[in-house]
Amino acid sequence: MSQITRRQALTAGAGLLAAPALVQQVDAQGAFNWRRFAGERIEVSLTANPRSQILIQNQREFEELTGIRVGSEAIPEQQHRQKFVIEFASGRPSFDVIGISLHVNKRQVGRARWTVDLKPMIADASLTAPDFDFADFGAGAVAFSTQADGRMDTLPEFTDYFILYYNKEIFARANARIPETYDEMYETAKRLTDARAGQFGFVGRGVRNANVVLYTSFLLGTAQRDCVDANMRLITDTPDAVWAGEMYKKLMRDAAPPGVAGFNWNESQTTFAQGRAAMWLDGVGFAAPLEDGTRSRVAGKVGYAVVPRGPANHHCALFGTGFGISAASSERKRGAAWFYNQWAINKTNQLRFLTSGAGSPARQSPFRNEEAIRTSRFGQDFFTTLIESARIARPGLPEIVPVTEFRDTLGAALTNTIGGADVATELRRATEAFRPILEQSERAT
Amino acid sequence: MPEGVTSAQAAALSGAAADKARRKRAYARHYWPFVVPAAVVVVAVIVFPWAFTLWMSLQEWQLGSGRSFVGLANYERLLTDARFHDSIWRTLYFTALAVIIPVVLGIAAAMAFNRKFPLRGLARTIFILPMMATPVAVALVWTMMFHPQLGVLNWILSQFGIPPSMWVYDQSTVIPTLVLVEVWHWTPLVMLLVLGGLASLPVDPYEAAKIDGATSWQAFRYITLPLLAPFIMVAVIIRTIDALKAFDTIYVITQGGPGTASETINIFLYLNAFAYYNMGYASAVVVVFFTLIIGLALLLLWSRERFKDNVR
Amino acid sequence: MKARPIRRWLHDLAFGLSVIALVSPAALVFLWMLSLALKTEIDNVAFPPVFIPNPPTLDNFRAVFERNDFLNQTLNSVIVSFSATGIALLVGVPAGYGIAKMRAHKAAVLILIARITPGLSYLIPLFLLFQWIGLTGTIWPIVITHLVLTVPIAVWVMIGFFEGLPAELEEAALVDGATIWQAFRHVALPLARPGITVATILAFIFSWNNFIFAMVLAGRETRTLPVAVNNMLTFEQISWGPLSAAALLVTLPVVVLTLVAQKQIVAGLTQGGVKGG
Repeated sequence: MSQITRRQALTAGAGLLAAPALVQQVDAQGAFNWRRFAGERIEVSLTANPRSQILIQNQREFEELTGIRVGSEAIPEQQHRQKFVIEFASGRPSFDVIGISLHVNKRQVGRARWTVDLKPMIADASLTAPDFDFADFGAGAVAFSTQADGRMDTLPEFTDYFILYYNKEIFARANARIPETYDEMYETAKRLTDARAGQFGFVGRGVRNANVVLYTSFLLGTAQRDCVDANMRLITDTPDAVWAGEMYKKLMRDAAPPGVAGFNWNESQTTFAQGRAAMWLDGVGFAAPLEDGTRSRVAGKVGYAVVPRGPANHHCALFGTGFGISAASSERKRGAAWFYNQWAINKTNQLRFLTSGAGSPARQSPFRNEEAIRTSRFGQDFFTTLIESARIARPGLPEIVPVTEFRDTLGAALTNTIGGADVATELRRATEAFRPILEQSERAT
Repeated sequence: MPEGVTSAQAAALSGAAADKARRKRAYARHYWPFVVPAAVVVVAVIVFPWAFTLWMSLQEWQLGSGRSFVGLANYERLLTDARFHDSIWRTLYFTALAVIIPVVLGIAAAMAFNRKFPLRGLARTIFILPMMATPVAVALVWTMMFHPQLGVLNWILSQFGIPPSMWVYDQSTVIPTLVLVEVWHWTPLVMLLVLGGLASLPVDPYEAAKIDGATSWQAFRYITLPLLAPFIMVAVIIRTIDALKAFDTIYVITQGGPGTASETINIFLYLNAFAYYNMGYASAVVVVFFTLIIGLALLLLWSRERFKDNVR
Repeated sequence: MKARPIRRWLHDLAFGLSVIALVSPAALVFLWMLSLALKTEIDNVAFPPVFIPNPPTLDNFRAVFERNDFLNQTLNSVIVSFSATGIALLVGVPAGYGIAKMRAHKAAVLILIARITPGLSYLIPLFLLFQWIGLTGTIWPIVITHLVLTVPIAVWVMIGFFEGLPAELEEAALVDGATIWQAFRHVALPLARPGITVATILAFIFSWNNFIFAMVLAGRETRTLPVAVNNMLTFEQISWGPLSAAALLVTLPVVVLTLVAQKQIVAGLTQGGVKGG
C-alpha cells in the first residue's frame, strides 16, 4: 500500500529526469567506460529507510549501465550500526559499500581506517565519470564526510535536519502562530494541550539514547551550542546545558502525552500521524509517511518549518549518512563499489530523494530544479524549510567514538527528568559518569 | 543437583551398596564411546566459550582498537559501576515477580485443568499456546498494545472505567508490565509441570479427608499442596533460571528503557558488548552474571533437597 | 432440596468463568495479532481500536512476501532449526544413553550448567571463534550456536528416558552375545522413541524461536525468521500490519506443532522438569 504511493511519488521525480540522465550517460560513454568492471559482483549494506528503498528499487539501472551485479540489503538502523562495526572489526566484512551514519560512527570508522579515502578516486578521470560534478555537493556535507586528517572516507548521501512538523488544522483552530523561539514554542505547546480531549501541544523522543538529539536541538540554540568544547571536554553540566535540559523537561512534562518517556520516533510519529499532537520536532525523513494517506490521518495537513531559535543562536541539528567503500575489499571490487557510489548518489537519485520526501539530498542541484519541486506532492513550505535548514545546520551529536554510550548515559538522565528528576543534578551525574569514558577514548586516538 | 546425583552419592555412602556400585562402574566404562561426539560438541561450543570469556575478562578490548592485558581492572570497574549494580537489583526484582506470579497462577490453572469439564482439551491447548509462540514476534505485538494513547489495552481498561496505565512507557510500571508479558508466556509451563504432579497424586488421603469432613480448601491446603511441593519446587527452579536469563522480550519491547528502568544484567551486558563494543568489560559482566545464576540455581537445588528431607 | 442444585449451578458457573479468565489472555492476544494482520494500516492505529477487519485485507501478507526476502529467510530458519535439531539428536541420543549407563553424574551436571548459562554469554567468544576460522557470513555459525541450545536439552531429556528404561532387556541381549552398540541400536533405541520425539520437538522449538544468535551473527543471506520479523520495524516508517502478518507466519509452525504433538510436549516438559532441568 505504502509502496504504491511511494512508487507514484517516484515516477513523478524520476520521469522528469530519468530521460535526460540516460542521454547524458550515453554521451558520456564515449569518453568514460562505465563497463570497466562488468561481471564484478558487489555487496551493499544500507540502513532501512525510504532512501535505501529508492536505491534498491532502481538498482537495475546501475546493473544495466555497468554490468556489475549488486546484492544489497537494508536493515534497521540500530542493528545495522552494530553489525557493520562487528564485521569490520572481524577483518572480513561481507559488504563492499556501506552506508554509515556519520553522526554516530564517523570517528570510529575514521580511526580504524575501515573505509578507503575517496579523494584519489574522485581525482582519477578513468574512475570518475565526467558528469559526477563533485562541486554539486554542499560544503557542509563534504565537511561532514571528511575526517580530521583530511581523508574523505565516505561520499555524502543524505543530510538530515531536525525540522518542526506542525498540524495545520490544530494551529488554525486555535489561531496559533508558528513559534520562532523555543520559549514561544513551549508557550504555544502548552496552550494547544488539551489532555482530556487527547490532544497534546508537543511530541518528541523521550526514550534514552534517541532523546539526546532532541535535547541537543535545544542546546544548539544556546551560546555554548555543543556537548564538548574545543579540547573535546564534555560540557553537558553548564548553565547552558541545564537551560536546554529544563526546556526539554518542561516541554515533555507539560505539553507531551503521558508515557512520552518511552517514546521513540516511532511512537512520536504514530501520535502525530493520528492528529493527536500539534507539533513534533524530528528528522526530515518522516515527511513521506506523514503525507501518506493510507497510514496517516494528517496527510495534507502537515506544516513544515525550521526549528525555533534559542536564546543565543539559531541552529538546527544536522545528521548525515555517507557511503563508504570497505578497505578490505579487493582492488577491483573497490572500483566497482566506487561506480556504485557514483550512481547511487548521482543527480537523478538525489532528486528522487527530495521529491518523494525521502530526505534531504547531499547534492544541491535537486533544490534548483524548480519544475520538479513545483509538481511534487509536498508543499512549497517543505522545500523552503529544507533550504533554510541547510543554512543553519550544525552537527547534532559530538564527533566522538563512544557516541552510543554517550547517548545512553545522557539519554537516561534526560528520561529521568521527564519523570520529575532535577535537571541540574541529573546532568551533573551523567556528565561525571561519561567524562572518564570520553577521556579514555580521546587518549586512545 | 539433579535427583540422580544425590541418590548415587547416598548409595555410595551406604556400605552395602558401595560394592555393587563399583562393579557397575567397571562395567560402565565400556559406554564412553557413546559420549564422545557430544563431548566434542560440548567442549567446542560450550566449554571453550567459558574459558575464553574468562580470559577476555582480563583484557581491555574495544572492537576497532587494540587489546591489552589489564588484570582484574574490569572487575574493579564493575565494583564501582552504579549502573551495573542497579541492573542487578532490577534483575532480582524482575525475577522475583516473574517467578511468583506464574507459579501461583500456574497452580490455579493446573487445579482447574485437572477437573473434567466440557471442551477441556481445547481450552488446555489454547492455554499452552503462548509457551510455544516466538517471543520476538509476540513482543512486537505487545509493544503496540501498550501504547498509552492508542493501545488496545488502555482502551479495554477505559471500558471498565479504569484510568489508563503507562505500561512500558513509565519508569515505575515498566518492570511489572514486562513481567506481565513473561507471565503470559510462561504460566502454561508451570501449569503443565504442576498438572503432571497432580496426575501422580494418590487418591487415599483425599478419601480419608472426605470422611473426616474436610472442606475442599482444607484438602488443597493440607494434602494437595504438600504433595505437590516437589513439582512446584521444580517449577520455581526453572522459572528462576529463565527469568534471570530473560532477554528477547525486554530487548525488543524496551531495550532497557525508559531511562535505565528495565536495564537488567542481560541488557547491560548486551549493550556493553554489541553497542559499546567493550568486549573485555562485557566478558567480566558475563563471568559475574554466570556466577550469580549458578549460585542461585545451586541455592534453589540445595533448598529443594533440604525441603525434601523435611517432608520425609 | 432446591438450594443444592442452585448452589451447584452457581459453582459451575464460577468455575466456567474462571476457566474463561484463564484462557482468554492467550486467545485474545493471538486474535488481536490476526486482526492486525488483516486490517489496513490506518485501522491498525485507530483509537478506539477497530477489532473486526472490515473489509479484511490480505495486503499485509502480500507485503511480507514481496518486500523482505521472506521465503529465503524461511528456508534459512528451516535449515538452521532442522540441522541444529538433527545434530543434537545425533550426538545427544547416544550421549544420553552413555551417561545414563555410566551413571556419569558429573557429565550430567555439566549439561545442566550449560542449560542454565545465559545464551548471550556464548555469543562473544563464539563470534570471535567464527572470525578466526573464517565462517562468518555462512549459515554455519548460526547452526553451531544453536547447538548451544539444542544439545543440552536433547542430552538432558534422553538421560531421563534411558534411566527410566528397564535394564533387563539389554542385559539379556548382552548375555546373548550382542555388542553394546547392538544392544543400544536394536533394544534401547526403539524403546526410547517417545523420548526422542520429545527431544526433537523441544530442540526444534528452542531453535526456531531463537532470536539473539542470528541477530548478531546472520548476514543478508543467512537471516532467520525471528530476526526478519524484528527487521520489519524499519526506520522512519511504521508498518504494524505486515509486522503482525510476519509474526503470525513465524509463530504458525510452532503453533501447529503444539496442536499436533501436544501430548508429547506435555509429557516431555513434565518429565524433563522432574529430572531437575
